[in-house]
Amino acid sequence: MIRGWFLAAALLLMPCGAQAHEIGTTQVHFTLQRDHSWSATIITGPQALANKLEAETGQPRSSNLNADTLRAEITTLASVLANHIDVRFDGVGSPVHVTVAQLELPDDITLPSFVVLRASGPMPEHAQAVTWRYGLVYSTYAVVFADEDGGSPVTQWLDGDAMSRPFPIAANVRPLTRFEIAAQYLQLGFLHIVPEGLDHILFVLGIFFLTTKLKPILVQVTAFTIAHSVTLGLTMYGIVSLPSRVVEPLIALSVAYVAIENKMTSKLKPWRPAVVFGFGLLHGMGFAGVLTELRLPRAEIIPALISFNVGIELAQLTVIAAAFFTVAFWYRDKWWYRARIAVPASAAIAATGLFWTVQRVFWA
Amino acid sequence: MTPAGSGAVRQMVLAAAALLLAGSVQAHDFWIEPSTFHPQPGTTVAVGLRVGQNFVGDPVPRFSALIEQFVIRQAGSEQPIGGSDNIDPAGFFRADGQSTAVIAYRSIGSYIELPADKFEDYLRQYGLERIIDLRAGRGERAKPGRERFYRFAKALLTGQQHSAAVAKPLGFAYEIVPEDDPTARLAPFRGRILYDGKPLADALVVAILHSDPSAQLTARSDAQGAFSFALPHAGVWLIKSVHMVRAGFFSDADWESLWASLTFEAPETPR
Repeated sequence: MIRGWFLAAALLLMPCGAQAHEIGTTQVHFTLQRDHSWSATIITGPQALANKLEAETGQPRSSNLNADTLRAEITTLASVLANHIDVRFDGVGSPVHVTVAQLELPDDITLPSFVVLRASGPMPEHAQAVTWRYGLVYSTYAVVFADEDGGSPVTQWLDGDAMSRPFPIAANVRPLTRFEIAAQYLQLGFLHIVPEGLDHILFVLGIFFLTTKLKPILVQVTAFTIAHSVTLGLTMYGIVSLPSRVVEPLIALSVAYVAIENKMTSKLKPWRPAVVFGFGLLHGMGFAGVLTELRLPRAEIIPALISFNVGIELAQLTVIAAAFFTVAFWYRDKWWYRARIAVPASAAIAATGLFWTVQRVFWA
Repeated sequence: MTPAGSGAVRQMVLAAAALLLAGSVQAHDFWIEPSTFHPQPGTTVAVGLRVGQNFVGDPVPRFSALIEQFVIRQAGSEQPIGGSDNIDPAGFFRADGQSTAVIAYRSIGSYIELPADKFEDYLRQYGLERIIDLRAGRGERAKPGRERFYRFAKALLTGQQHSAAVAKPLGFAYEIVPEDDPTARLAPFRGRILYDGKPLADALVVAILHSDPSAQLTARSDAQGAFSFALPHAGVWLIKSVHMVRAGFFSDADWESLWASLTFEAPETPR
C-alpha cells in the first residue's frame, strides 16, 4: 500500500514533459552516511532482474523459479549486478557491494513480487557531490537521495539507465556567504538580459528610441522596473502564473508595440508609461522562468530576487548607456536624428518583434 | 521460411541479432505478460504489463490515467480488466478457458524527448530508417527527437478450443493481426500489420522467443501488410512492430510512434 501511495505521489510530482518511459516498480533510496559510507536500497522485480543477469552472463533464461532458487541465483550473480551500479563521487567511481536483503514471491498471483537489494560502498572524505546510475532498469524510476549530515531528501526521476544529476554532500560543501549568493544572482540577472535576453534588450531600446530627453526615458524605465519586479516576485511565490506559450508571444508583441509607437510620436503620451507598466508585468513573468527552474530553497528566494532584479536593472542601464553613447550622445541634436536613426531603428525593432510574435504563436 | 505466395516478404533468421542487441536501446518494447498463457476455466489470471527489451521487461503498475482500453475478449464478449492503480499486476480477470481469449491494452500518448544521436540510433534499431531520411530532408537531424508514443499490446490465452476470432482486428491504430490462431499448433506464424485499419507495407516485424531471446526472427510486411515467421520452437513468443508518423500541427511533439505487440504460447503438440 505504501508503495502504491509512493507511486501515486511520484506520478503527480513528475514534471510535465519529462523524458519518460512508463514508470515501473523499481525504487531506489540512496543514503550518505556519517561514517563516510553510502548505502542504497533497491526495490525491483525479481524475475526480471534474474533474467537480465542471466542474459548478461550468457546463461539460459529461467522462468517460474521459486523464491529460494531465485534468491540463490541473484545472490550468486551479485557481483555482476554490482557492475551495473555506478556510484561516482566527483566523477570517480566507488566500489560497490550488493546483497539480497529480502525477496517476496507470493503464491497469490494478485500480490506483487519484489526483491530488496542493499548496495553499499565507501565515500571519499572530501567529496563534494555524488551521482547514481543503475544499468539494469528499462522503465522510469525515482531515486531518493538523503544525507545523514543534513539537507532535505531530494527525489530525481531517471529514465532507464540514465545518470542522475550530482547530489551535493552536505558535510563537505561550504555554504555560500550571503554576499556570494547575492553576487551569483546579480550576475545571473545581468546575463539574463545581456547577452541572453535579446527580446528584453529590444524592448529597452524601444523605450530609448522614443525620445532623446532624459525624463521620458526615466519615467518609462521606472514603470517597467516596478512592474517586472512585482510579477517576478509574485511568480516566484506561485501567486500568479501564466503559461510561457502565452507570456512569450506577448513579450514579443510588446517589443513591436513600443517600437511602432516610436514611429507615431516622439512625445511621452500619458498612456505610454501605463502600457510600458503593463508590458513590464509580462516581462517579469518571463524573468521568473530562469529563477523558477533553479528551484531555489525558500530561504534564498528573497536575497535571490533582490540581487537578480538588481542584475536586470544594471543590464537595462547598460543597454541604455551603450545606445546613448553609440548614437544619441553624438547625434541627438542633429535635425535628422529621429528620421535617420530613431525611426529606422524602431522599424527594425518592430519588424523583429512582429516576427517573434508570429514565430512564438505558431512555431514554438 | 516464408510460405509460397508472399514472395515480397523477406525473412531472416538473425542468430546473433547483433544489431538489436548491441548497446543501450533508448526506446523500449511494451507487451502483456499474463500469469499463465493457458488458464483453466474459472481460474483467475493476473495480467502483467512489461516494458523492456529482448523480451525481458520491468513490471509496469496500472495507471488508469494512461489507459485508453484494457479488456479481455473471451466467450464472445468483451469485458474491462479490473485492477488497482499503482499496483503490479495491472489487472485481473476470471478466465473462461473454453476457447482462445484476447487481452487488449491501448494507452494514451506519452511524451519523450531524446538527444538527436540517441533518437537516430533508436530509429535505426527499430527499422525506421525512413524517419531518419525524413528528418534529414527537413533539416532536423541535429534536433532532439520529440516524440509521443502509443502502446497497442495484445496477448492470446490458449483455451480448450482454438478460435477464429483472434484473426479479427480490434481496431487499434496499429495492430498485429494473426491470420489464424497461433495457439492451436506450432506452425508458421502468418499475420498482417494494420495501420488505421489498412495494411501497412514494409513494416519491420520482429519475433522473439521468451526462453531464448538471442535468436530473433525478423520480417518486413508486403504490400498487403502480410508477413510470416517459421517459428522454430514451441514456447512463449513476442511479435512486435513499431510505426512512426509525423505528428499533427498542434502536437507538442514532432513524431508519433505506435508500438504494437502480440504475446502468445505456441504449443508443443497441436490442440
